[in-house]
Amino acid sequence: MIANAEPVIRVNGVSRWFGSVVAVSEVSFDIMPGITGLLGPNGAGKTTLLRMMTGLAATSTGTVTVFGEPVRDNPPLYKRIGVMSEHETVYGFMKGREFVTMMGSLRGVTDLEDAVDRAIGLVDLADAQHRSMETYSRGMRQRMRLAATLVHEPEILILDEPLNGADPRQRVHFKHLLHTLAEQGRTIVLSSHILEEVEQVADTVLLIVNGKLAASGGFRAIRAALNQRPYHVRVLCDSPRKLAAAVVTLESVDAVHVDPDGALIVLSRNVLDLQIELPRLAQAQSIGLRRVEPLDDSLESVFGYLVEN
Amino acid sequence: MIAVYRLTLRQLSGRWRISIMTVLASLPVIIALLMLAADDAPSVEEFETAILGAMFAGSIVPLVVLAIAAAAFGNEIEDRTLANLTISPVPRWKITLPKLLAIISIAGPFIAISALLTGHVAFLGEWPATLAVGVAAIAAVAMYGSMFVWLGLVSTQAIGAGLLYIVLWEGFFSGFISGVRLLSIRFYAIALMHGIDERRFAHLEHVPLSVAIGVTLLVSGGFLYLATLKLRRMDVP
Amino acid sequence: MTGTVFDIGYQRYTGEREGRSRGRLAVFKDGLRTALGLGRGSRAKVLPWIFIGILAAIAIIMSLVIGAAERFGGPGAAETANLPTHSDYNGIASIILFVFAAIVGPELLCRDKRDGVINLYLVRPLTGSDYIASRWAAFMTVMTGAAWLPQIILFIALSMSAPKPIEYISGHWLDVPRFLLAGLAMAAYATTLALLAASFTSRRAYVSVFLVGLFVITAPFTLGLAEEIGGTVGRWISMFNLTSIPVHVNDVIFGQVSEVTEDAPARELAAWIKVAWFFAWTLIPGFVLWARYRRLTP
Repeated sequence: MIANAEPVIRVNGVSRWFGSVVAVSEVSFDIMPGITGLLGPNGAGKTTLLRMMTGLAATSTGTVTVFGEPVRDNPPLYKRIGVMSEHETVYGFMKGREFVTMMGSLRGVTDLEDAVDRAIGLVDLADAQHRSMETYSRGMRQRMRLAATLVHEPEILILDEPLNGADPRQRVHFKHLLHTLAEQGRTIVLSSHILEEVEQVADTVLLIVNGKLAASGGFRAIRAALNQRPYHVRVLCDSPRKLAAAVVTLESVDAVHVDPDGALIVLSRNVLDLQIELPRLAQAQSIGLRRVEPLDDSLESVFGYLVEN
Repeated sequence: MIAVYRLTLRQLSGRWRISIMTVLASLPVIIALLMLAADDAPSVEEFETAILGAMFAGSIVPLVVLAIAAAAFGNEIEDRTLANLTISPVPRWKITLPKLLAIISIAGPFIAISALLTGHVAFLGEWPATLAVGVAAIAAVAMYGSMFVWLGLVSTQAIGAGLLYIVLWEGFFSGFISGVRLLSIRFYAIALMHGIDERRFAHLEHVPLSVAIGVTLLVSGGFLYLATLKLRRMDVP
Repeated sequence: MTGTVFDIGYQRYTGEREGRSRGRLAVFKDGLRTALGLGRGSRAKVLPWIFIGILAAIAIIMSLVIGAAERFGGPGAAETANLPTHSDYNGIASIILFVFAAIVGPELLCRDKRDGVINLYLVRPLTGSDYIASRWAAFMTVMTGAAWLPQIILFIALSMSAPKPIEYISGHWLDVPRFLLAGLAMAAYATTLALLAASFTSRRAYVSVFLVGLFVITAPFTLGLAEEIGGTVGRWISMFNLTSIPVHVNDVIFGQVSEVTEDAPARELAAWIKVAWFFAWTLIPGFVLWARYRRLTP
C-alpha cells in the first residue's frame, strides 16, 4: 500500500438524526483498501452508518465520498460498489440464477452468463442455482445474495451482517473468499456481531458506540491505546502465592490475585516489562512456570472495555 | 430498464390478481349485454353516466390500477427489496418508467378489452364510439397508474389515501362541486372520450380535446417525474 | 448483631398470574390502539381520524342545514322539506363506514400474520379463538363508536336547535335506541366482513382494494341488473348490493325507507327477510372467520 494513497471511502463529520434521536454523531474516518470491520453493540448506529456510506440514506450533516465523489444521488458510482444489506428478503418467486442474472444486468455487466457462473461458483451454490429461492435455507439465501453482490466485480464491497445464518463450514469458506478479494486490491467493509471472525479477517476495525466512533485501527493497537486499563495476564505455576508475593513488588504490576482454581492473575500496564521480569522472578524463587497467557488480548475484550465505558 | 420491467411484471401478475381483474373487467361488458337484451333499454345518456362514467371510469379502472400501481413500489418498500434496484448505476427514471410501463402492460389489456367490448356492444358496433372508449380507458390507466405509483413511493398508507381519493374525491365530491372536476382524472378521461367521438357524453360540458390530451400527458408525465424525484431523495429501506 | 446479604440478581416471578382473561383484554386493548393509531406516531393516526372526522362532519353539516331550515322556515320546515334525518344519515354514511372498515380493519390481522407475531400470542395461555374474538371486539368497538358518535352529535344538535328542546327530546326519544341499534348493526356487518377478508392474506393493500371494489362495484351492478330483470328475481338480486344490506335493517328499525334505499327494488321485500339476510351476511362470515383462527397453533 502506498503511504499517501487517497482513501477509498471518506466519511467526514457525518451525523444523522431521526427526530430527536441521534443515531450517528460527528463520525469521521477514512477507509483504505483491505478489510475493515465495523463493530458496535445493537443500536450503536452501524447500519445507519453503512446506509449513509452506500448512499441509501442521506446524512443530516457531513459528507460521504467514495473515490472522491459524493455517494448520494450518484448512480454511476454503483458500478464500482457492491452492497449487501442486513435484510434477508429476496424475490421468492425467482430462481437463484435468475436473481443474480437480474442484478448483473442492472449493474451493466456485459459478459453476463460468465459473470453469473463465476459469482455463483464463488459462493458454491452451482447445484442449487436453478431452484426457486423460496426453497433455500437462510444460509443459502445469504450466499446467493452475496453472489448477486459480487457479480459485477465491484472494487468496493459493503456487507452488513453477511454471516447471518452461515454454518461453520460456510464461515470458513467466506473468510477465505474475503481474503482473496482483499488480496486483489478491493476495499471491503463488513459489519458483524461475530467478533472472533472479524478479528481473524479484518485488518482494521471501527468501533461505534452510541453513534460515536469509539476507536479505529488495528485492535491490538487500540488495546495498547487503552492505557488506563491494565492488562490481565493469567499465570499457571507451582506456587502461585509465592510467585504473587514476588511479582507484586514490580513497578509495572498494579495488582495480583489468586483465582479459586489456583491461577495467578496479574494486572499490569506494561506487559513488555512483565514478560522479561516474570520468568526471572520465577527462576529466582525456583517456581516452575507452566503457562502464561494474556486474558484480554482479544477484540472482544477491547469491545467490552469501550462499550462499558 | 428491461430488467426492472420484467421484474415488475412478475411481481404483480399473480393468479389472484389476474382473476380479480378478469372479474372486474367483465362486469361492464355483462351489464352492457344485459341492458341491450332488456325490453326497455336505458338511454345512451343513462348508460354513459352510470356504466361508463361512474362504474367504469370512476370505480373499476381506478381500483384495478390502484391495486397494482401502489404495490409496484409499495411492496418493494415493505419487503425491503427496493435497494436491489437503487444500488445500481441506472438513472432513477429508468426505474420508475419501467414500473409504470409494467403497470400499463398488466392493467391495460384488461381495461382496454373491457372498454372496447363494452363500447362495441353498447354502441352497436360503431367504431368511432368503440375507439373513443378504448383510448380514454388507456389514458385513464396511464394517469391513475402514474399517480398511484408516486403515492406508493411517498406513503405507507398509499392504499388508504388512494381509496379515499377514488371514493370521496372522484366518487363523491366531483359529482357535486363542479370545480373539483377540473382536478379529477375521470373528468379528463371522459373529456378525451368526447373529444374523439363528440356524441359520447354529449350532455356534459367538456374541455377541448387538445386540453384533454395535454392534461393526460401532464398528469402521467408529472407524477412520473415526482416519483423519480422522490426515489432520488428518499432513504431507501 | 447479625447481617444479611441479599441476592439482588435474577429472581423468578412468584406473584399472581392472571391467565386467559388478562390475555384477551391485552389483545383487545392492542387492537383498539392499532385501529385508532394510538401510541403509534402521528402517521398511524391520520387515516382513522380522517374517517371519524368526515363522519362527524357530515352529521354537523346536516345539523346546521336542519337548524337553518327550522330557523328560516319555522318549526317543522325541515320535515316538510324532507331534509335528511337519523335514518338517512346511516344510509349516507354507510359507504364511508365500509371504506373505513376496509382500510383500517386489515391492520388488526394482516400485520400480525406478516410479521409472524401471531405465534407470540399463541404461546401464551391464549387460543386462536381468544385472539380473533378479542380482535373482533376491538374493531367492533371502534366501528360502533364511529357509527354512534355522529348520530349523537346530530341528536344533540337537533334538540338544541329546536324551539323547545325538552319537547323535542320527549317527542323524539325513540330515535336514540333506534340509531344506536342501527349503528350497532352496521358496525357488526362492516367489522365482520373486513376481518374475514383480512384473514385470507398478509397484504393489507389487497384486502382494502378488494373490499372497496366489492362494496363500490356490487352497488351499481346489482341495482342495474335488478332493474333490468325486475320482479321478485330483481328484488333478490338487489339484495346482493352489499352496501345496502345493513341499510335495509336500518329502514326496518326506523320503520321508514331511507333516501339511499328508496330506489332499491329490495325495499319491497318483507322486514323479516331483510333482517334474516343481514344476520346471514354477518353470522356466516363471522363463523368462517372464527373457524379460520380456531385451530391455529404456534
